[in-house]
Amino acid sequence: MTLTIGLLLGLSFFASLLALAFLIWAVNNRQLTITQHDAYTIFTEGEAGHPDDATTEGSQDEGGAARAHHFDTERAGIDAISRPAVVTLISSGIAWLAIGSIFGLIASLKLHWPDWLVGEAWLTFGRVRTLHLNMVIYGWLSMTGIGVAMWVAPRIFHTALRYPKLPIIGAILWNVGVAAGAIAIASGWNDGQEWLEIPWQIDILIAIAGSFFVLPLLATAARRHVKHIYVTGWYYIAALCWFPILFFIANIPYIYSGVQEATVNWWFAHNVLGLWLTPLGVGAAYYFIPKIIGKPIYSYSLSLLGFWALALFYSQVGIHHLIGGPVPTWVVTLSIVHSVMMFVPVIAVAINHHVTVARNLWALKASVPLRFISLGAVMYTLASFQGSIEALRSVNSVTHFTQYTVAHAHLGAYGFVSFVMFGAVYHMLPRITGRSWPWPSMIPAHFWLVVVGFAIYFIGLTIGGVLQGFAMLDVARPFSDSVQVVLPYLEIRSLGGAVMVVGHLIFAAHFLAALIQRDAQAPAAQPHDTRSAVST
Amino acid sequence: MESFEPYEEFKPIPLPVLIIAVALALWGVFTLLDNGKAVTVGRAERSDQIADQHANRQNGAELFVSRCATCHQPNGSGVEGAIPPLASSPFLKASPEVAMHILLNGIDGPIRVGDATFEGHMPSFASVLSDADIVRLVTHVRGTFADRHDLLTEGDVATARLLAGRRGAWQGGQEIAARLDASLGPQPPMSSATQAAIDPIAQKLVSQGNGQTWACASCHGMRGQGSASVPRLAGLPAAYIAKQLGDYVTGKRRNETMQLVARTLKPQDMRRIGDYYSVMRAPSNARASLGGDLVRGERLVLDGDWARGLPSCVSCHGPSTFGVAPSFPALSAQHPEYTAAQLTAWVSGTRDNSTGRLMNGIAARLNDADRRAVADYLATLPPVPAPATRGRTNGK
Repeated sequence: MTLTIGLLLGLSFFASLLALAFLIWAVNNRQLTITQHDAYTIFTEGEAGHPDDATTEGSQDEGGAARAHHFDTERAGIDAISRPAVVTLISSGIAWLAIGSIFGLIASLKLHWPDWLVGEAWLTFGRVRTLHLNMVIYGWLSMTGIGVAMWVAPRIFHTALRYPKLPIIGAILWNVGVAAGAIAIASGWNDGQEWLEIPWQIDILIAIAGSFFVLPLLATAARRHVKHIYVTGWYYIAALCWFPILFFIANIPYIYSGVQEATVNWWFAHNVLGLWLTPLGVGAAYYFIPKIIGKPIYSYSLSLLGFWALALFYSQVGIHHLIGGPVPTWVVTLSIVHSVMMFVPVIAVAINHHVTVARNLWALKASVPLRFISLGAVMYTLASFQGSIEALRSVNSVTHFTQYTVAHAHLGAYGFVSFVMFGAVYHMLPRITGRSWPWPSMIPAHFWLVVVGFAIYFIGLTIGGVLQGFAMLDVARPFSDSVQVVLPYLEIRSLGGAVMVVGHLIFAAHFLAALIQRDAQAPAAQPHDTRSAVST
Repeated sequence: MESFEPYEEFKPIPLPVLIIAVALALWGVFTLLDNGKAVTVGRAERSDQIADQHANRQNGAELFVSRCATCHQPNGSGVEGAIPPLASSPFLKASPEVAMHILLNGIDGPIRVGDATFEGHMPSFASVLSDADIVRLVTHVRGTFADRHDLLTEGDVATARLLAGRRGAWQGGQEIAARLDASLGPQPPMSSATQAAIDPIAQKLVSQGNGQTWACASCHGMRGQGSASVPRLAGLPAAYIAKQLGDYVTGKRRNETMQLVARTLKPQDMRRIGDYYSVMRAPSNARASLGGDLVRGERLVLDGDWARGLPSCVSCHGPSTFGVAPSFPALSAQHPEYTAAQLTAWVSGTRDNSTGRLMNGIAARLNDADRRAVADYLATLPPVPAPATRGRTNGK
C-alpha cells in the first residue's frame, strides 16, 4: 500500500519534472507559437507606452483625454457591463477587511492582555482569531480578488462579461455564507480544522456561490475576441478551476480522520494560498504592472515557465506543516521537495514583474497604485523564498509552531495579496465611478500606514518567533521561557497591527466616500456615464 | 510621454534561471531517493530490534556479561568481603532451581559461600529477564563455574515466577537451604532484626495524605514504583528522600506539584516518609522509552567518558547504581522520562541541590542524546535489592 501510493506520488514529481523540462525545451526552441507580441493583448492599439493611471498626479493631460476617446467604443462598454458585479464584490470585500482586521487586532492584543474581553465565549482568543482568519481569507481576499478578476478578465478577452447578473447573486450568497460561517464560529460551532472552520453545511452555500463566479468567467473566456489568452487569464482560469476542487474535496465530511484528516487539512490550507490567493494576486499584478506603466512585461517565456511550474509543483506543498508528525516520512519529504521546487516559478514571476518595474522606476513615483502592486509583487517573491526555506526540516524544526510562521503567513496573504488588491482597487475605482478619488491625499496615507505598520508587524514577529523557537527547542529551559521571550514581540505586533487597521479604516472610509459621491450624481449620469468612466 | 515602440524580440528564459531549475530538480531527486533509503534503513533497524526482543537473541554468555559480571566479575571470582564468588559455589552445584529462584527473588540476608560469609543483597531479576533468558543464563553459569549440565525448562521458570511474585527476597542462605536444597551446608542465621515494623503514620501520609494535600501514592503508586515522569521512590535512601522534600520547601529543587506538597509536611513527616519508602520493594516497571543508544548508555553508566570529563554513574551511585546512602540515590529501574528530565533540570538550574554541586557539572557535559542513552540504560537495570538488609548492614 505504502509502496504503491509512495511510488505514484514520487512518480508525480518525476512527471512534473519531465513536463517542466519539455516546456523549457519547447519555449527555447520556439515550438510554442508565442512571441513577445502576445504580451500586448492587454493594450488596444496605440495605448502602449502611456501611463494609464487615474491617480497619477499632474499627468492628466489632453493626451489622456485623446487616449480615452480612443477606447470609448470598445473598452468602456465592456467595463460598464461588469461594473455592478465588480462594485458589489469589492465593497463586500472591503467591508470584510474592516471587520476582519479589527478581529485580528483583538486577537493580537489578547495574546499579551490575556484577561481582556474574557466575559463572553465568542470573544475568547480561539474564536476571535478564527473569525479574523475566515473573514480576511474568504471575505476580504477572495471577494476582492474575484471582483478584480471580473473587471480584468473581460478587458483581456476584449469582450463583455457574460451573465453579468450571476456574480451579483453569487456575491450575496457568498456574503451570507461567510457571515453565517462567522456566526457559527463565534457560537462555537466549527469543523475543528484550521482554514476549514466554517461548518461544511454552510460551506455548501459558499460552494454554490462560487459557481456563480466561475460560470461567467469561463463563459467570457470561451467567447473571447482575442486568439491568445494573456497570462493573467491563465492564472484566473486556473484559480477558478482549482479552488472549487480543493474546497469540495477538503470539505467532504466523515471520510477523513486522524492523520489523514491532518494531511488533507494542510493540503487544503496551503493550496488555498498557492492555488487560489496566489493566482488571484499574481494574475492581477501581471495585468496592472504593465498596464499602469504602459510597457509590456519582460519575457513571455518566463510567464509560461512561472505559470506551469506553479501548476505542476504547488499541489503537494502543504504537508511540510506536518514535519515531525506521525505522517509517513516520504510524504513529508515529497512535500519538502515540492516546496523547494517553488523557487522556479517564483524566480520566473519575479524577473517578469521586477524587471518591468525596475526599468520604469519613474512610474513608482507617479502612481501610488503601482507602488502598492509592485511592492506586493516584491513581497510575493520574498514570501515564497521564505516559504521554501521554511519547509526544510532544519529550519522548520525551529520556526514551526512559533509566531515566525504567523509572520510568514501575513507576508504572503497581506504583504503580497492584500497589497496587490489595495493597488488594484485604487486603480479601478475611478474608472468604475467615473470620477477621481475624493480625498487623494488619503491614498499615500493609507500606503505609508500599512507599509510601516506591516514592517513593524513582520520584523517584530519574525525575531520573536525565532527566539521562541530556540527557547522551545532547548530542553534545559522550561516552556514558560518560550512564552516570556516572545511577549515583547507580541506587543510590537499589536502596535504594527493597530497601525495597519488604521490604514484599513481610512481605505474603507475613502472607498465608501467615493461610492456615495457616485450615487449622489448617479441618476443624472446613469444613461451615458460610460463616457465619463474613461475621461478621468 | 514618449511613444512606445513595441519590439518583437523573443526573450528566452535566462540561463541562470535554467541552471537554478536544473539544480533544484537534481536536488529534489536526490532528496527523494535519499529519504527512501533512510526510511528503508530505519525500518530494517527497527525490525531487527523487535526481532531481537522477541527472539531473546542474547545467549547465556552475553547475558552473564551484561547482567552479572559487574558484581560477580567476568571470571566469577566475586569481590572479597562483598560479593560472593560464583566459581565452585555450592549454590551453583546444587540443583538448577536454586540459581533460578535466586535470580527470580534476589537475596536479602547473610549467606555462606565456601569459607566466607557475605551480607547478601542481590536484586531480583524477575522483571528484566524472560523465562528463556533465565534458562540460558542458569545453564551458562552452572556449566561455566560449577561444571553442572542438567537442564532447566522454561516451564519450570514460569511456575517459579508465579510464586516469586508473592514472596520477597530470600532471607539469607538459611532460608534457601531450608526451602530449596539441604546440600548447601550450614548457613548463617538471619539477624534477629527482621523487617522494620511499618510506621503507621508514614503509611497514612503515603496512602491518604495529611488532609491538606494529596497522598504520595496517588502519583507515585501504591508500591512507590512511579511511572514515566513521576519517579520510582521504592528503595531510595531515607535521608535522600527527606532531603529532597526539604529542598522543595527551600526552592533548591523546583517542581510546582512537589513544592505544594512538601510545604504541608513537617520535617519529622519527611523523615518518616523517607524511612517508609527506603524499605519498600517493587518490581521494575521502567522500560527504555526515549530511543536512547543503550550501548552508549551502558558505557557512560559503567565507565563514564573521561574525554569529556564524565565520571561513570557507578563511581558514586554504587555498583549496579543501587545507590549509596545517604546522599546518592539508586538510579536503576528509574523511569527514563524522569531521569532525563532531572539531568536537564541540573543544567537549567531548576534543580540545584546535589552534594558539592556534582551533578550540575556532570549534567552540563551530557548532550541530549547522552541523556536519553543514560536514562534508557538505567531503566533496563533491575531494581534496588532488599533494602531491609541494607538498612541492617548500615546499622552494623
